[in-house]
Amino acid sequence: MTGLGEIWIRNVGEGISIGVGEAIERLPSTVPAIRDRVRHDDRGSYRPLSGARGLPAGWHVRISEELPLDAAIEAVYPLATVHRAQFRDGTLRVVSLDEVLDRQSGRYEIASNLSSAGRDLVRSVLCDNVCVRVPVWAGSSPGIDDIPCPEPCSVLVALAREAAIWETARPVATDPDPDVEFAEFDLPGNVLRETYLARAREEQAES
Amino acid sequence: MSRALVLVGHGSHLNANSSEPVWRHADTIRSRRLFDEVRVGLWKEEPSLSRVLDGCTADEVFVVPMFISTGYFTKTVVPREMGLTGTTTVRHGQVIRYTPPVGVHDSLANVIVERAREVGAGPDDAVVVLGHGTRRDSDSEKNVYRMADLVRERSLFAEVVAVFLDQEPSMLNMLDLVRAPRVTVVPLFIADGWHVGQTIPDDLSLEGVETRRSGRLVRYSGPVGTHDSLADVILELVEGVPAG
Repeated sequence: MTGLGEIWIRNVGEGISIGVGEAIERLPSTVPAIRDRVRHDDRGSYRPLSGARGLPAGWHVRISEELPLDAAIEAVYPLATVHRAQFRDGTLRVVSLDEVLDRQSGRYEIASNLSSAGRDLVRSVLCDNVCVRVPVWAGSSPGIDDIPCPEPCSVLVALAREAAIWETARPVATDPDPDVEFAEFDLPGNVLRETYLARAREEQAES
Repeated sequence: MSRALVLVGHGSHLNANSSEPVWRHADTIRSRRLFDEVRVGLWKEEPSLSRVLDGCTADEVFVVPMFISTGYFTKTVVPREMGLTGTTTVRHGQVIRYTPPVGVHDSLANVIVERAREVGAGPDDAVVVLGHGTRRDSDSEKNVYRMADLVRERSLFAEVVAVFLDQEPSMLNMLDLVRAPRVTVVPLFIADGWHVGQTIPDDLSLEGVETRRSGRLVRYSGPVGTHDSLADVILELVEGVPAG
């Protein structure tokens, strides 16, 4: 058995299957069935970040002529197989966080004001702690079984936007509340918000 | 020559329904085997707009914005994120054709008619085409008015008016704008998301598909973007792209 991120890949007598956790529910061998199954976590919360740890468990799907292995994997982790192949052959186009924040406009333009320390912290809070993808754009080196991430995603940009605002008026930190949605960074209790604010306070105290 | 279709949409960090129609129409078109590849790219979800063409080897790529109007996203965000330089971009020998948004195609008026009829609108009724609108981009409202005009020209309903969520004429005053005893509201939105599912019904005090109000009947249809026939509008849009 091998794996990628949080999914397992098995090749047994009846053919290749992928799944997460115990193989209880067998999904139809279609991309939409997999996509729908991983859209929410086991608590029913929407997962806007495909690489976020905590895939819903208890399902598996049989690979078939209509559902190639790469398509099944990409239904869980979009572009994962493409980026793995491009990383292996040295053609992966890598874009830095600075470039991504500098090109933002409208609501997200303010994200480019985020300090260097703040940029390191959002990466640490989201990419290092939450996501299975390995941020090549931050200089990390993916192993052979890892999924390389070539460019900061929109969730990171949204967190950077809020962090830039927090740097001008530091909000009061509260206890993390898992009932607050994953990406509602402007709401007290959001787990990533409270993690960021706690870490920022620690770093400020140390300096 | 190989061809790829890329549907690009907004997506959401908060609402799982936002990108559902984009994925579903892509699945429908993929099943018809008209293109070598059918992909989805999203501003707020994955695959992102900036990476959706990674690994795409088709000679010709059609990028269709799944937006209702020409505006900030179609004019600024999508081209910037995808590195598009105009209606045609040639990159590493690949020809990328950027179409107008699906919402501006004339055939969308047929979808509005279908949505209105699905909830019971008839020849004696008023149809209210409800767009988002914005005070920031005047192009946004033009298409809502144009779609209302196209539906009106078909002479299928007694009255057809355009109203907006975020500008005048406001949806809150829609019953003052029409005289018919039965009024059908058709949301000119892509997704059954936050606005269609929550803010509009709340603001209009709608109780479901049908609501009685001051002796009148208000019907509320699904959004145009989730209608199955939108896949055909997408294909008509692509077929209308001039070659060369």
